[in-house]
Parts: sequence; structure tokens; C-alpha cells
Amino acid sequence: MMLAGTIWQRELVEFAQRRRALVIKLAFPLLVAIPLVLSGAPSIYAAMALTMLVAIVGALGAGAVLTRERQTGMTLRYRTLPVTPGRLLIERLSTNAAIDFVQLTPVLVLIALRHPSTFAWWPALLLTTAAVLLIGNLMGAVASTLSQSPGEVMLYVVIPLLPLLYLSGVFTPLSEPALVVASRLLPFSYLHEALLGALGGQPSLLPWETMLAGLGFLVGAAGLAGRLGRRVFESD
Amino acid sequence: MKVDTASERSLLIATDLSRAYRGGKGVFDIHLRLGAGEVLGVMGPNGSGKTTLLRLLATAATPTAGQVSWFGSSNARDPSVRGRLGVMLDQAAHFDQMTGYQNAWFFAHQFGLSDGLARERLDELFSWSGLGDARDQLVGEYSLGMKRRLNLIEALVHRPAILLLDEPTLALDYRAELDLIERLQLLSLTGTAVILATNDVHLAERLCDSVIFLHQGRIIREGQVPELLTEVAGSKEVQLQVNSPIGLENLRSLAAVEAANVDGDTVHIILARGANPAQVLAVLNGTADLVSNMRVRRPNLGDLFLKLTGVALPAGHR
Repeated sequence: MMLAGTIWQRELVEFAQRRRALVIKLAFPLLVAIPLVLSGAPSIYAAMALTMLVAIVGALGAGAVLTRERQTGMTLRYRTLPVTPGRLLIERLSTNAAIDFVQLTPVLVLIALRHPSTFAWWPALLLTTAAVLLIGNLMGAVASTLSQSPGEVMLYVVIPLLPLLYLSGVFTPLSEPALVVASRLLPFSYLHEALLGALGGQPSLLPWETMLAGLGFLVGAAGLAGRLGRRVFESD
Repeated sequence: MKVDTASERSLLIATDLSRAYRGGKGVFDIHLRLGAGEVLGVMGPNGSGKTTLLRLLATAATPTAGQVSWFGSSNARDPSVRGRLGVMLDQAAHFDQMTGYQNAWFFAHQFGLSDGLARERLDELFSWSGLGDARDQLVGEYSLGMKRRLNLIEALVHRPAILLLDEPTLALDYRAELDLIERLQLLSLTGTAVILATNDVHLAERLCDSVIFLHQGRIIREGQVPELLTEVAGSKEVQLQVNSPIGLENLRSLAAVEAANVDGDTVHIILARGANPAQVLAVLNGTADLVSNMRVRRPNLGDLFLKLTGVALPAGHR
């Protein structure tokens, strides 16, 4: 029997014990990615679809779990633990994001196998994927405080996500200077760039610029999670 | 400098404590003080604010006014405060996809226990609680009573200085209730302070040193249990089981009747000291065939609550 004494270990143990959910979680991204990557779809479309996939995988998981925990009274129990809410949220979201990353690893491997010559983009792709997953989880966590219903929380996550993806230039290249600047403030634009590069497309940024942005968003999201702990775990 | 010895001895002090919810519910202007080894009962009907008060004292809710001091600190988020509290909330929330032992192991480690100590204490507590055979079963498959017992294990495992238990005997069988009372008495003797939110009159009278009565979010009476019981000493509680509703006005107009209340098909009547239960039947003259059963017994804390408020504590706990 696997025993978990810390918050991150517990997340992993629970994930590993839910075999059916584990299979579904691993199979779902592959079902979307295999036709896109293997069929030779234009890189601009494949990058768009995969950016949306990563963002949604990150955002939906945490929102649903935290809403369910609020309903069952688990959030109240968290409040009585001798752990600060910030640390609790960072540990939970980073573990959830790591699990999501594992879920997407077969997709990333598939891209690497199909486009081995684009290896210069891989570090940027790994970092921007991690950053978008953590930010997605954070969005889900904040959305979970807005409603008691998991369905409603899903809506609160998806409704802002779609315009943010548009503003990131994921759906269509942006030409307006103001929109270009706005896109550079959003993590999804860097993931989109990294995917374009890794899929053999024509990104507008260099790999190292994208990688640095990914790292910045990752650190920023971790810091923000620490600040939002109280809001997520202590709002009634 | 003047030393407040009472404050020094108190593990927990609540001052002007309030938590207001929309619609006027909540708790208001609560003052209480708890010393080492003391057992305090919080009693009141559903919606009286017991759970809210317990959550405030357990750091699970934030007050809208006033403050709580635990071990001299009023910082509810201080890990050194939370680490010395053992909490059993009203909802038996657990990680359902993990076993009972995995759940308890997680909470034991959150409160700083080493592997060896956690193993030793959990073995003893699982055996004590009767959950030994179910320790490797998923909590999602547990009954409510089993989940509540697991909650107790998790609240006790780190040997807290203050135990805060919300309806600890809810869904427990009589044997488990007696075991719990015995354990809490032992803990109290070794200095653990206990706060129980309960409507279980039997539990409160056997275990608590003192009790506070909550009604509509406010303390309406508090005191030592023997002292409170003297207020109803000599009087009697008459329980009438009725086949159809009867009017209480005639009963209440009797000088011998201190309080009367209906709870389902049972009428509870508190008779004044020296009053004869036959007087009640006399008032029901003509409608006495409606009464299917009559019981007279020594009054308890629940009857005092009824006398003070006119509201009965929930059925099943009397």
C-alpha cells in the first residue's frame, strides 16, 4: 500500500490509484494529437489545436477537483491543517500541473519523433507547456471559488480562456501593434510559438526568447499561487 | 505588572466573537474561556450556531468581529496553533479514493508525526475505534459511522492540547459512544481540553464540566453541569405520545407547567417542582384517548433548554 505524508505525495498516490481515470487521462490527449501530428496537418492548425488542448487540460482538472472538495467539506479540513494556504495551493497546483504534464508527455514525444530536426525548440516547448499547465490550474483554482457547481466552474474557466487564446494570436496571426503587445503578455502565445517551432512551422520568436518567457511565466505563476492561497481555501 | 492568572491558565479564550451570515444567521458576542483538562459542551437546536462556533474555534472560519486566542496567540493561521488543535468537523470529509489508513497516515504526517510514531499510534487508534478490519478499505466504501470514527482517529492521532468535536457521537453505536466517553475522560485527566458541540444530553451530562446553551446564535445560559441541573431538579418531564395533534394552550396555562413543546408525535412538558403529572391528564379530559403513551422521567439538560427557550433539542438526543 502506497502511503503519502505530504500534500504532493497524496496527490500522486490518489492519481495512481485511480486506474480508470489514469487511462482516460493519458488516452484523451493522444486521441487529439495523433491525427494532427501524424497526418501532416499544417503546423499553424496543429499548433493552434495543441495550444488549446494544453490550456484546457490545465484549467479543467484543478477547477473540478477543488469544487468537489468545497462541496464535500474537504476545503474546511484543509483550513485546520498546520500549513499556510499559500504553500498548500502551490504544492497542490504544482503537483496537478506535473500530473497534467505526464498526461501530455506522449504527445510531446510524438512531436519529437515526427520532427526530430526541430530539437532547438524542445526546451522552450517543455517550459512553456509547464507554464501554461500551471497557469491553467491556477485559473481553475480561482474559478472554483465562484460557484458550488462543477459545471458552472467549467464555464467560468472556459469563458475567459477563449478570448485569451484569441488575444494570444492562437487562432489568427495578429497584425495590430497593440494586439501584438497584448499577446506577448499572455503565456499561451509563447506555447503557440514553441509548438509552431517544434512542428516545423515559422514562429516569430527565437527559441531562447520563448524559453525565457516560459520560465518567467512558470516562476510568476508559482508566486501568484502563493498569494492566492487564502482566496482559494478560505473564501466561503 | 498585574498578572491575569486566569488568562495564563486558559488555553483558549474567545472574546466578543461573532460571525454573521446573510439572512441573520451566525453567532454573536460569544465569550468563553477554556483551561487545560476542561470539557465544555456547546448545546442548542439545529441552526443555533453550534457548528459555526466550533469552526471559528477550530480556525476553519474567520470571525466578522471579536477574536479567539489559542495558547496566547490570536493568529488563526499560525501552524504552531493549528498543530495543537485536534478537530472533528460536522462533515465527515475524506479522500474517498484512498483507504482509511492512507487518510489517517496523511493527517498524522501533516501534524508532524514521524513514520514510526504515526504507525504506533494509528495501530492503537484503529484497534480502539473498531476500524482495524476496515483500515485497508477505500473510504468511499465506508458507512457514515465508519467515516466519523476515522475522523476521530485523525483528530486524536497527534495528541492535541485542545480537541474540538462537532457532534462526535453522531452515527456511532452505543458501544462506540461509551468507548469515546471513556477515552475523552482519560484525555481530560491528562490535561487535554475538549469542546463538544452536541445535542446528546447523555454525552454532555456524563462528560462535560460545563455547558453553554446557544439559541439563535447567542449564549443564553452557561454554567457547570451540576449547577444547571439544579435549575430543573425536583421538576419532572412528562412525555406524551399522541395519535393526533393536541392544542398546547390549555397545558401552558396550567401553573404547574413550566414549558410545553411538540416534537413530531411527542409532546414534551416540564412540570414545576412538586407538580403532579395527573394534572396534565386532567386538562386533556375528553381528549385523553388521543394519548397512546405517557412517560414521566427525571429532567435533564435538554429539559432545561426547553424551559429556557420553549424550543426542544432535536429528537433522538433526548
